Amino acid sequence: MTAVAVPATRARARVVRPVLVRLGTSVLVLWGAVTVAFAGLHLTPGNVVDLLIGANTVTPEVRARIVADYGLDRPLLVQYVTYLGRVLHGDLGQSYQLHQPVASAIGEQIGSSVQLMLASFALAVVVAVTVAVLTAGRRWARAVFSGVELVGISIPSFWAGILLLTVFSFGLGLFPATGGEGVESLVLPSVAMAIPVIATLSQVLREGLELTLEEPFVLTARSRGMSDLGVRLRHALRHALLPTVTLAGWMVSYLFGGAVITESVFSRQGIGRLTLTAVTNKDLPVVMGVVLIASLLYVVINILLDLLYLAIDPRLRGA
Amino acid sequence: MSTSIRLPAAVFVSLSLALTACGTGDGGAAAAKAPGGPVKGGTLTFGVNTEPSTCLDPHQSPADVAGLFTRPVLDSLVSLDTEGRIRPWLATSWTVSEDQKTYTLQLREGVKFSDGTPFDAAAVKANLDHIVDPATRSQLAAGYIEPYEGSEVVGPHTVKVSFSRPYSPFLSALATAYFGIESPRSLEQPQDALCKKVVGSGPFVIDEYVVQKGITYHRNPGYDWAAEGAGHTGAAYLDKLEIKVITEDSVRLGALTSGQVDAIAGVPPVNVRQVRADPRLTITTRQAPGGNYNYYPNTTSGPFADKRVRQAFRDGIDFATIVQNLYFGAFQPAAGPISPATDGYDKTLEGKAKYDPATANRLLDEAGWSARDAEGYRTRDGRRLTIRWGFLKAFAREQRDTLAEQIQAEAKKIGFDVEFVAGTVNEWLEKYPKGDYDLMDFSWQRADGDTLRNLFDSSSIPTDAKFGQNAARLADKDVDGWLSDALDTTDQAERAELYAKVQQRVTDEAAVFPVYVFNYLLGAGEKVHGIGWEPQAYPTFYDAWVEQA
Repeated sequence: MTAVAVPATRARARVVRPVLVRLGTSVLVLWGAVTVAFAGLHLTPGNVVDLLIGANTVTPEVRARIVADYGLDRPLLVQYVTYLGRVLHGDLGQSYQLHQPVASAIGEQIGSSVQLMLASFALAVVVAVTVAVLTAGRRWARAVFSGVELVGISIPSFWAGILLLTVFSFGLGLFPATGGEGVESLVLPSVAMAIPVIATLSQVLREGLELTLEEPFVLTARSRGMSDLGVRLRHALRHALLPTVTLAGWMVSYLFGGAVITESVFSRQGIGRLTLTAVTNKDLPVVMGVVLIASLLYVVINILLDLLYLAIDPRLRGA
Repeated sequence: MSTSIRLPAAVFVSLSLALTACGTGDGGAAAAKAPGGPVKGGTLTFGVNTEPSTCLDPHQSPADVAGLFTRPVLDSLVSLDTEGRIRPWLATSWTVSEDQKTYTLQLREGVKFSDGTPFDAAAVKANLDHIVDPATRSQLAAGYIEPYEGSEVVGPHTVKVSFSRPYSPFLSALATAYFGIESPRSLEQPQDALCKKVVGSGPFVIDEYVVQKGITYHRNPGYDWAAEGAGHTGAAYLDKLEIKVITEDSVRLGALTSGQVDAIAGVPPVNVRQVRADPRLTITTRQAPGGNYNYYPNTTSGPFADKRVRQAFRDGIDFATIVQNLYFGAFQPAAGPISPATDGYDKTLEGKAKYDPATANRLLDEAGWSARDAEGYRTRDGRRLTIRWGFLKAFAREQRDTLAEQIQAEAKKIGFDVEFVAGTVNEWLEKYPKGDYDLMDFSWQRADGDTLRNLFDSSSIPTDAKFGQNAARLADKDVDGWLSDALDTTDQAERAELYAKVQQRVTDEAAVFPVYVFNYLLGAGEKVHGIGWEPQAYPTFYDAWVEQA
């Protein structure tokens, strides 16, 4: 499992080129997101200034400032370039409803969401890997867990959240029902959010494991006297991980969307609830800001995943 | 959802905000009999369903919940007791000039804001001026003192407030949290800063307000100027007060039943019986004052321009039964345009409403809507009897959307085709001032009978130039006259008589379809005592205390 030896310069070119391509497409994706946000603002029926202000009142001076900031008295192309320039400088605009800049509104809320997403992601990976490794190729265990996984994928996370709260918070009093302080308050929401992820991940992972366990090299490993668990962990798992990593992109968008429901059910602060409120109140600057942040997050995750592929499968590094 | 709304578009405000209500019931303690006297110390945690996320400052915000969040830190010049009498608070006495246009208030001495600024006549002037300052963009308070001309500092503790016309609702407006007196030093900050932190002279001081989480307060130890008639004097009993935002109904209820919070707002109507049956919990309800949750027909255009069609809709649908079934008795069917908790409520309207589909059908036949099309809707000259309802689902609370669908189904039985046409808020804001609708729905909370002027005076008809709450677009000279006369007199009996006339007229004209009286439903654990009520019927915590374990 070692890389084929190649001259150093060629090897570097092989690594650098895909990275450049990846960066290029990332920039394209982000540019697309900014453009969509801009188009959304201008295609929505109604006056742009009114849309930006949303359900709120402002003074004529503020209206004038909005017109100037967004260049609304100038041609559409100039407005577009102005907007692009402002986003490039990290200026996501001002929320007239929240009385603060969009960047700081998102900044205040995103930490709590990231905490929740990381916790449920970690939980999902640990549980899914454990379940998949222990059940792959074992008829009974497999049947039982497949059933459980189907339920896990099917139950709405809103309902799962309420159920968890009813049992572990209202009933047993083990965890607080609301709030975002401390580890205890992170347990139930991350479990609620992780359930469908665990179910999906372990299914894909198990299928990969089962395919790999049929491979000749597994037989070789076994013939060397390696234990079953050892084979699964050291040889099969690595192969099975590749399709799973591909799923991670989906997981990020799922967790981002799941945060909306989970944060509401568990009364946590976070970007999900911020988005929900912004959408309800037609606070367009915040909605546009969230779109941009979400796409940035997505792009960063995808770059990290590409690096992860290389780490998992050495074959991708060389030939 | 807390939510916020464009103000002159105040109509929508009441659609979206949390509620208020005014006391009609007993003295106001939320909990059962206390085992001993009040004890000092401890924290009370209160779970609410909505928050003033856009702005805390009640001078700016129209949200009732902004009043709830700031009342612990803000005192008012006067208070309104459960009988509707004005009582002294930061103002110890007042006189009204002969022509009823000038109010002279004597202020309490020795009062200090929590930032150390002394309270005096200049502070009162600064507050009233701040409310009416166009830069404040007051979405509610400024409208309550529309004829305000100015304040004059007569002496260090004497202030004179002038109006351009006799204005009898002034003192009851002053009693609301929207006129809470803020430290003049804090008023010098930009408006945005006031949206996050408000400084007053009240029994509590804000620690921090975090949107989507809640607000925390600590006791103001030097507090010694409670309103006359309060449960005690001196500092508050609680060390700390915490308001948590828990938007999900079932979670808020669960947090109460499992003891994670001490009390909650907005017990879901469906759970009221369950909470009542639980010996560890108490439930207190308080009727909101002001306009009930009503439907308003557009009396100037479309099918509802014909009074007979309006009567048919009102009397041909069994509103009372639908309300009883949907809310399990937690909200009472409304008898007239305003709630029994409002000053000037006309009790004689009760029992007059009658569900009478036969008469409704006859009236519709008489009005020319006698034919029926293939789907069973009535038609006239080949056109269907369609009612376009500006219903904003995004702001529907308390299952108002379910209610609307049930009304729609019932209306079909007598031949009405009810369509929901609001679209987005922005689209709606263009239609509403133009009268481009047949039906509107909202509640409008205000303790004073002058609320009728908001709802039915011809000057409140929404236009492009001026937003208003007269969604029925009623222009009735008599109604305008009575409402104006009521502003001129401070005689309660005389005002009540005038307001009764208005209520009877709008009922006779079927300019309003009363739906239900909103109740604030407060659930509390058995260890909680002494929660009081604001005139606008949200809880107050000055007298509140918690049994220590």
